[in-house]
Amino acid sequence: MESIDAKCTPLKREYDECFNKWYSEKFLDGKESSDCTALFKTYQKCLRQALKEKGLTKMIDDARPAIGSVFANYNDDNKVEDNE
Amino acid sequence: MRLFEATHVFKHDWETVSLANWRKYPNEQTPHVRHVEILNQDVDPVTGVLRTERLIMVRQNVPMLVRKIFGGDTSYVLEYSEVDPRKQTLVMQSQNMTYSNLLSVGEYITYTPDPENSKHTLFTQSAQLKASGALCRFANKIEDICWNRFQDNAHIGKLGLEQVVSKILAERQAMTMPLAQTASD
Repeated sequence: MESIDAKCTPLKREYDECFNKWYSEKFLDGKESSDCTALFKTYQKCLRQALKEKGLTKMIDDARPAIGSVFANYNDDNKVEDNE
Repeated sequence: MRLFEATHVFKHDWETVSLANWRKYPNEQTPHVRHVEILNQDVDPVTGVLRTERLIMVRQNVPMLVRKIFGGDTSYVLEYSEVDPRKQTLVMQSQNMTYSNLLSVGEYITYTPDPENSKHTLFTQSAQLKASGALCRFANKIEDICWNRFQDNAHIGKLGLEQVVSKILAERQAMTMPLAQTASD
């Protein structure tokens, strides 16, 4: 499946493949720490840029409370980075 | 407002069905789902729960009335899910973002082992669909159209998941076959 931005597609596919393997071979067996962190960071960097360019970040931030998401808003990113 | 509830039993174990959830798209049954992006994903270090946030983009043919009022046929949905591998639960909540001032569609889905047969998986789905009063005399008609579409999509969604489960089982079969042949030599 293509990403919303073609530049991110190979990164997304690499992450998806890693995730599916980790999920079925390790996570379900109780080994919960992910193998795919580095690939995820690369995919995310590309995706976040695409979301900003498409003007989607505010729409996503506004929708989070309705679905009980635990993740920080894009507009709070600076605060999250300070805490790390 | 429309309320929707459905249950279904997949005759496969929970681990396989939960994996199929992650590999569901693309599939032939649901061409309207165009993009699925992982926005956030982590494992809670205390509970071991996998938490995921996804952005889903949908585009499909809609009646002219809907296209005119909504101004398009493309919508974005936000989904949050939690997988607890110890309790064997997958819970998902989603909400449309696009056109949310005109129409709200919220969906809640669970996958758990079937209490009547632990080798099967029980799927439950509930959804609420409400058109805004701002649509005035079109509100009822829009709800009807979107409601029918939601039910159609729910049906093909289940077919799509079954197809993905079959694919996963075929892959497993292919991986074990060389061993079986060696054993019989």
